[in-house]
This record gives sequence, C-alpha cells and structure tokens, in this order.
Amino acid sequence: MSTSALLTMRAVEKRFGGVTALGGVDLTVNAGEVHALVGENGAGKSTLMKVLSGAHRPDAGAMTVAGAAYAPTSPQGARAAGVAMIYQELNLAPDLTVEDNVMLGRETQRLGVVRRREDRGRIEEALAFLGHEDISPRRPVRDLGPGQRQVVEIVRALVGDARVVVMDEPTSSLSRRDAGHLFDVVRRLVKRGVAIIYISHFLEEVEELADRYTVLRDGKTVGTGDVVPGVAPRLVELMVGRPVTEVFPVVPRERGDALLQVDGLSGRVRPSGASFTLHRGEVLGIAGLVGAGRTELLRAIFGLDPIRGGTVTFAGVSDGGRSAPHRVAQGFGMLSEDRKEEGLATSLTIAQNATLSRLEPFSRFGILDLTARDRRAAELIERLSIRSAGPRQTTGDLSGGNQQKVAFARLLHQDADVILLDEPTRGVDVGSKVEMYRLIGELAASGKAVLFVSSYIPELLGVCDRIAVMHRGVLSKPRPAKDWDETSLLDEATRGGTP
Amino acid sequence: MSDLAKRLDLNRALSVLGPFIGLILVMGLFAVLAPDRFVSAYNLKTIVTQTVIVALGAIGMTWVIIGGGIDLSVGSVIALSSVAAALFVRDGYSPAIAIVVGVVVGASVGALNGALITGLRVVPFIVTLGTMLMARGVAKWLGDEQKVDVPETWLDTVMSKNPDPSWLVLSPGVWTTLILAVVMAFALRRTVIGTHTIAVGSNEDTARLCGVRVSRVKIILYGIAGSFAGLAGVMQLGRLTVGDPTTAIGLELDIIAAVVIGGGSLSGGRGSILGSMIGAFLMAVLANGCTLTGVPNYVREILTGAIIIAAVAVDGLRQRPR
Amino acid sequence: MNVMRKNLTISGLWGALLLSGLWAGGCDCSEGDGASGEGDGMRTIAVIPKGTTHEFWKSIHAGAIKAGRELSVEILWQGPLREDDRSDQVRVVEDVISRGVDAIVLAPLDDAALVPPAREAVAEGIPVLIIDSDLDWDGRVSFVATDNMEGGRLAARRLGELLGGEGKVLMMRYQEGSASTMRREEGFLEAMRADFPNIELVSTNQYGGATTESAFATGEGLLVSHEDLDGIFTPNESTTFGMLRALRDADRAGTVKLVGFDSSASLARALSEGHVHGLVLQQPFRMGELGVRTAVAHLEGREVDARIDTGVTVVTVDNMDDPEIRDLLVPDLSEWLD
Repeated sequence: MSTSALLTMRAVEKRFGGVTALGGVDLTVNAGEVHALVGENGAGKSTLMKVLSGAHRPDAGAMTVAGAAYAPTSPQGARAAGVAMIYQELNLAPDLTVEDNVMLGRETQRLGVVRRREDRGRIEEALAFLGHEDISPRRPVRDLGPGQRQVVEIVRALVGDARVVVMDEPTSSLSRRDAGHLFDVVRRLVKRGVAIIYISHFLEEVEELADRYTVLRDGKTVGTGDVVPGVAPRLVELMVGRPVTEVFPVVPRERGDALLQVDGLSGRVRPSGASFTLHRGEVLGIAGLVGAGRTELLRAIFGLDPIRGGTVTFAGVSDGGRSAPHRVAQGFGMLSEDRKEEGLATSLTIAQNATLSRLEPFSRFGILDLTARDRRAAELIERLSIRSAGPRQTTGDLSGGNQQKVAFARLLHQDADVILLDEPTRGVDVGSKVEMYRLIGELAASGKAVLFVSSYIPELLGVCDRIAVMHRGVLSKPRPAKDWDETSLLDEATRGGTP
Repeated sequence: MSDLAKRLDLNRALSVLGPFIGLILVMGLFAVLAPDRFVSAYNLKTIVTQTVIVALGAIGMTWVIIGGGIDLSVGSVIALSSVAAALFVRDGYSPAIAIVVGVVVGASVGALNGALITGLRVVPFIVTLGTMLMARGVAKWLGDEQKVDVPETWLDTVMSKNPDPSWLVLSPGVWTTLILAVVMAFALRRTVIGTHTIAVGSNEDTARLCGVRVSRVKIILYGIAGSFAGLAGVMQLGRLTVGDPTTAIGLELDIIAAVVIGGGSLSGGRGSILGSMIGAFLMAVLANGCTLTGVPNYVREILTGAIIIAAVAVDGLRQRPR
Repeated sequence: MNVMRKNLTISGLWGALLLSGLWAGGCDCSEGDGASGEGDGMRTIAVIPKGTTHEFWKSIHAGAIKAGRELSVEILWQGPLREDDRSDQVRVVEDVISRGVDAIVLAPLDDAALVPPAREAVAEGIPVLIIDSDLDWDGRVSFVATDNMEGGRLAARRLGELLGGEGKVLMMRYQEGSASTMRREEGFLEAMRADFPNIELVSTNQYGGATTESAFATGEGLLVSHEDLDGIFTPNESTTFGMLRALRDADRAGTVKLVGFDSSASLARALSEGHVHGLVLQQPFRMGELGVRTAVAHLEGREVDARIDTGVTVVTVDNMDDPEIRDLLVPDLSEWLD
C-alpha cells in the first residue's frame, strides 16, 4: 500500500500569532483508499484542510502530491494539482445553475462566451454516476435541497478530475438514504484510484467506509493505522486522550406533569396534524429523514412558521399559534439546525450571543452591565467547555462544534422551560457530544421538557425517554425509547408507520 | 419532477412579469386619464427617448447590483463625462472622439471604484459615495464651475426624436441603448465574466474558493458601470447640448430604483437587464404621464416611491419558500 | 395554483397603486386650476417655471392664472422636480409638446440646454415665449423679464449708500449657469466698481447653490472667513434667506448690511426687523400675467414686442408700507392659488 502514496504531509506546522493551530501533522494517503481523518473540534482539522486547499501556507513541514512537492498558494493551485475540497458548510452560489456552479472558475469558453453545451454531457454523466439523474444541470442551486446540493459539490470534484478529494463531514446534513448513496459514490471514486480524505464525527461511518485512519489531537498526529472492525473505541481514546466509558451518560430523572400539548398541528406544507404531549423531566425524541417535516414542526411550535391548523397548549393555556417573541416570553427556547444563518450572529462575541435571549439580569434602566455579562458568559463557557479566548471572542472565529456550544449556552442562560433542539450535535465532536448528552439529561432532570430532533438514531435511542417518528409530515405516536431499536426506527422513518 | 421544473420556470418568468404587469397597469392608467394625449406614437417616442439616460445607467448598475455591490457615483460620472466630452467638442475635436473620451472617463472612474473597493477593502457604498463627490467636484473644476457650451454638431442629433435618416424611426441613442441592453443581457448569462459576476454576488466566498478572481471581477464590474455612465453622460450632452457639471444630481437613485423595480436584489445574485429596462421605462412613463395629466410633481414622487416599495414587496412574496 | 395566487397578489398591489393614482388625478381635477380636461375651443398655454417651490414661482403662477381667467385660456403649470435639474425641465417641455398645447411660456433653467426642445416646439407649430431668464435662441416670440443688470445695479447703489461708500462687501452668487442671477451679479459688480471705488469686494466667487440649505451652509462659511464684513449682496430669494439665517445664527444680523433680491413673507419680516436692509423686487406676478397675455396676443395674430421689461424696485424699511410696494413684497395670491 505504501508504495502508492498519493499525498503526504510531513511535520506540517501552522501558527496564528501566538496560537499553534498545527504543531506537527504527519499524514500519508494512498491512491484508492478512504483515509479517515478524525479528531475533536479544535484539534486542527479545519486548519489542516485550509493548508491542503492553499488558503493557508504552512509555517514548516513539507507536502507532496504524487511524488511532486505540493505547496498550493490558492484554491486554483490546489485544484490544478488535483486536490478538491468538499466543505461542511456547502459552498455553492445559490443564484447560479448546477452546471455553472460545477464549472465555476474553469468554464469552457471561447472569446469569453461560456460554452455550456460542451460540459453538459460530462456533468450529466457525473450526475448519473451518482444516481442523481433527477437533478437538471440547468436548475438554479437555490431550488435544490441540502442532499442535492451535496451531490452538486461532489460533481464539481468529479468533473474537475480530482485525484485527492477532501470531504469534511459530508453526511452531517444528509438523510440516511443520501448518506448511503454517498458511500456508494465514495467507493466508486476509490475504485477509480482517487484518494479520499474523509473527515467525520460518525465513527460507525468511519468503520463502515474507511480503509485507514489518522487521528489529530491538539494540532498533532497522535495515531494512524488500518481500520479494522471494532476500532472505534480506540479512535475515541486517541481523540480525547483518555478512555471514554459511557457514551450516553445516564442521568436519573422522573417524568413530571404535562407541560406542552400539541394537537393536530399543521403547517403550510408540513407537518400535517402532529399531536403529542411533552412532560416536565422528559426528553422526547423526533426521528425521521431530512425533509420529513421535523424542523418545520419545531418552527411552527416556536412561532417561526405560520400554523394552518391545530393548537399548542402550554401550561394549560391553548392557542392557535403565537409569535416567536411571545414563545420566548412563555418560556420556550430553540436551538436552530442552521447555526450559521439563523442560530448565531457570528459577528457578535460569545458573551453577546449567549445572553441575547435574556439581557434583563445585566440591565439596569436599559443600560447593560458588561462586566456582569462577561462573568455570566465565562460561567457558561466553563460549564460547556467552550474552547475560546474568552467571553469577548467573536463567535465566528470558533470551530463549528464550539459555535454550537455557544448556541446551547444561550438556551441555558435563557432558562427556558420547553427546549426545542434541532440537530444539536451536528458537526460536533465526540467529547462535546457526550457533554451535550449529559447536559440534556441534566436539563430534563431539573424539570425542563426537551424536544429533541435528530437524524442520528443512536443518540436518540441513548438520550430520549420516548421517541416519535416523522414521515412525510405525519408524526407517529410517541413510544418509549426502549420499545425501539435502530432497525425499527429506520424502518418507520423510511416507510412510515401507524400514526 | 417536470411539474416542479415548470413551476420554477414560471416563478422565474414572474420576476420579469411583475414589473411588466406594473408597467402595463401604469400605462393603462394614463391611457384612461389622458387617452388622446398619452396614447400616440409621438408621445411613446418621447418617453423612449427620455428613458435612454436612466436605462444606460441601469444596464451597468444591474451588473454591479447582481455582483453584490452598489454604485452611487453614476450620477456624478454622467456629469463628469458630459463635461469632458463637451470640452473636446468645444475645442474642435470630432464628436466621435468626444464619445470615446466620455466612455473612457466613465470607465476610469468605474475602475477606480473597483480598485478602491478591492484594494482598500472598503464597502462599495462608502467608496462610491466618495467618488460621487469627487467626480462631481472634478466636473465642476473642468467646467470652470460653469456649464460648457458646445458648437452644433451631429452629436446634438443622437438623442433627437426625429432621426436624420427617418427610416430609423427612433433616435440613434435609443437604438444604441437597445442593442447594448441585448448584448449585456446575453453577456450576463452566457459569458464567463457574467457567470462570475452572479457567483460573486451570490456567494463571494464560494466564488473565491472556486478560483474566481473576485477582485478582478469587481474591478471589471465597476468599470462596466462606469463605462455605461460615461456613455449616458455623452447622451446627456447630446440631449442638453451643453456639458453640465450640475446635471444628473440624484440620478443614481433613479437608476438604482429602476434596477430594483426590475427585480434586482441589493443583497446580490439576482436581477435582470430586461427587468431593469422595464423599470427605467416605467419611471419615464410615470414622469411623462404626470406631466400630461397635469398632476403636481409631488404626486409623481409619491407614486414612484410607492411603486419601488410595491415592486420589492411583490418580489419578496415571490421569493418566500413554497 | 400557487403561481396563480401570487399573480393575484401582484395584481392586487398594482390595483391599489392604480387607485391611489386615480385619487391623485381626481383630486387635482377638483382643484379647478384648469390643469386638466380640455374645453372645446379653449386655448391651453403651458407655463413652465424653473421650479415650483419658491415664492417667486408661485407669484408667476398666480399672475398666469389671472391672465388665463381674464382671457379664458387654460393654464397648464408644470415644472421640474428640482430647481437645478435641466434635464428634467427638458423632459417637461418635451412632454408638453407631446401632449399638445397652443403656446409655451418657458422660464429656461439654462440658456443653451433648453434650445433644442424649444426649437422642437416651434417645429411642431407651438410658439414659445420666454420669461425670467433668456434663452440663447432667436426663435422665441418675446422675452418678458426683469432687467436683471439694472436690478443688480440698484442693489449696488443701495448697499453703497448704506455703507457711505466705504467698507468691505461680499457677494454670494447663486448657481453656475443661471443666466438671470449672473446678470444681477454682473450688474452689481459693475455699479459697485464704478460708483463706489472705496468699497473693497472681499469675496465674489462663492456659490450658494440651488437650495436655502446650501446657501445657508455657504453663508456660514463666508461669515466665518470674513469677520470684519460690512455688507453682503445675494442675487435671489434662496441665497438671501440662506444668508439671513447664517447672519442670525452668527448674531450678526443687523450689523452686517444685507441687500438681497426677491421677497418672501420671512424676508419681508426681516426687512421690518432691520435684519435685511434692502430687497430688489421683481414683479413676478406681472411677469406671469404679461407672459400669458403676450402669448395670447401672438396667437391672435397681433404684433408683440421682442423684449418686455417688467421692472424692478428697491424696497427698504422706509418704503415697505406703501400699498404698491406692499403688494410686491407680500403678494396676496390666495385669490389665484388655493
């Protein structure tokens, strides 16, 4: 295997001011293999990607691609050398068509006029190769769903004849079915001799898909080897630097009174006629595919989407829909799935973001006591172990997982009674996930009611007391978590069941 | 799926249909209020000629706005290029040279805008606000704080309603505008620079990641806007027969309004030349109709304002997720 | 279905606009100042001012309406949006030609830029009569206006006498390219230099601009840079009022002698308070009336003079209560305008 090393990194270092982001990374990726790159948030994966893509230049170390020295200074340079990136936050221009996005920056042209017809065949071929003939190259990307957008990104790499494809959390926004498709695609790419650097937090994905792994911790390579069955615990150990005993911490709690009752709730398109009761001290999970209407259910309850029918009863008071500020005042808190666009104001500081939903404690006659606010933010940073330079750091500078923790910190600070969580652990590393699971358990134990939407079935089974399944806008009756298993949940999510 | 595709196509068609319906309604309104005066070939010709300056400015502005920018300097650039061109005509150069001078002056200010925006990393609003004042000042300086009178040349006829070979029907200025609108609409959808413009306005980071030379695209964009403003300035010279350093004050807002009425989004990525042309024409119709019906000026201003807001509101309804 | 619904929404919005337009149009009709609707056989004369907001133009409007009522002529009153927008005035003239009128009475914003549309009007068989500022064109029926040079000279004499032939004086100009005010400025400078050689002209190259605000700002700047000023001349209403405000702001109103041009209610009050020491008055009401009367005479085939002077007077605190002057100073236009 080592004879055909396609990409190598030797002792690569990168510093930003006084902060060492990469302190000696070694990585060898062979042609025709899927190489999993794992590590906690802040371990240096993002920086590594930026070095690979030419966005950052390393301070020390050497890289080669196919035996030749590789020192890209720009994304074009990386691409010319055959290294393609597929980012976690999808990078497409929504106003351009699929084909224009795929060819962006390397259009076939004559006298400045784009010759689309000459590329369309290749793009259609690539789409067919991925099993997505349903995407027309001439559709604007704005009209596509997240799964389809991911496909467009991969087509971009395919059409660009990439030899090394770096995928950052590619399945985090995909449904199970799309993820399955993606695995097929990855295997086919590998058969062509392409090397895949696969960054994922889903270790079972790594076990299923990868041939070899490299683990990063604190900007250093701490382990590398072949992926063999049952390697996951070893990976976790390497990532956190200590053995992780319980993945889903058990927090003892008791179910209290019914706090939130939803009857026949219908939105513009989805959900249709959703009903459930949520008690204090309870975590109710909502499973389902991406696009089934789970996010819309939360948004309708929270007052972000209009309600077409049905009622929401909170603490005995019924209504047919209220505005989001009203809900916040009632004691609802929500963690948005889309943290970049909706969940956080990334240009604000951690302190500002974390306390935005409840400024009263720091406000006197409308004037904010910034020191008190920073103190509170520091507490939250500590409690959630947010890796940051302090309360006044800009949220946008944090890694994805830490940004999510800031969003979570806001919920804690808001002290909401009903907590709506939409994919709270997406893009979050294992260590942080465990912290969040514990936190969710503690919230419920303190008498809060939690509604937990997730596409990651193991965490639903591990964290929730009861689970309901959303299928094409219809919500099933919640059943105790112990009555479900991975297969039955998946089955009901993909085929629908008895409501 | 094809059903969906059809709906999407319709939806896109609606983006131009909205302003078009608005235009028809406003024209209908004036046709009812002043049937004999408004509905005549002569009057239509008048309106079309009056649209030229705003329309030319709007072609360039559409590109800038789709590219996610804004250009406040166009009004001043129109004045500057009209003065510069007038100086050349006054000194006995051929009007053809004056036209080239006007366009080059405009393009230079535009390229300067682009260079400052990308080089200093200052937002377009501020940079073009600055160059708006600078260009106005330079125009007054060149004109010695006065308008520049020019001898009669064929330049005076480019905006004439009765063109010299009468088979032209419309003035050369109108034809130039129409042809350029078609060319620039084609270029927006079918050329590399057009695609890159949409990409930059739609998602600048993506464009950069894909190897689009964002700075170059922006300099070209503002250069295009400047060139069109320069050409509009020459047309203004032809129309007024004087190079006027105080002309077109506030015209940039009319031009932006035309683009916005035509479906342009100030957050970038969206807009169309056809829409902007309809927007420009709509505003000219409104001015003309209000004069014809003897409506006071303030009504015209109120109506124009209402139409801008209505156009954007309608566009917002259309954009809402299904 | 969805698309249809959206279509309806769009139509609804435009419908609302249409209604508001109708309302505005209808409202105008009921005002009855003869702006719309074509009576049978009744002549329509378009009067196109430089702007519509200054008092001066309101007087012209009133005078035109008076002549219109007495001669049974319909007056179409249309001006550009701003008083410095040449191209918008060109547009108004074009639109009026396109609409069709019997004659145009025009106060051109520019002596050259308005020539092509005026020429076009004549080509369409519409005679053009110029008021207020001249047009560099011999195709006009007549030029009905103040002798602005003479007005400027009168202002210079008044200011010179006030100062006893000694001191420092400045002139704040109005706007580049405005012919009538340039004449006044020229007349002022000419008489000042000829009759009062001991008066020093400390600044004559600053422009107050088209609006009161811009004149105010320029005036403030001038006052700051000329601490020991004795007198000021301003060539129109907006510059006079802007300068007056600047003087009041600087607490120098009354100490610095201000001679201005044109009037308004506030300028008349300032005159009686001793903050303004002289106003050269034109007779805009007469200009509007004579403009329309001369146009009608021409239409009826009578000979008209190529140049009609509407006269200028200097008003001071001493003569401001004379009934004739009073009429000029604070004209009561309510009989003519609503």
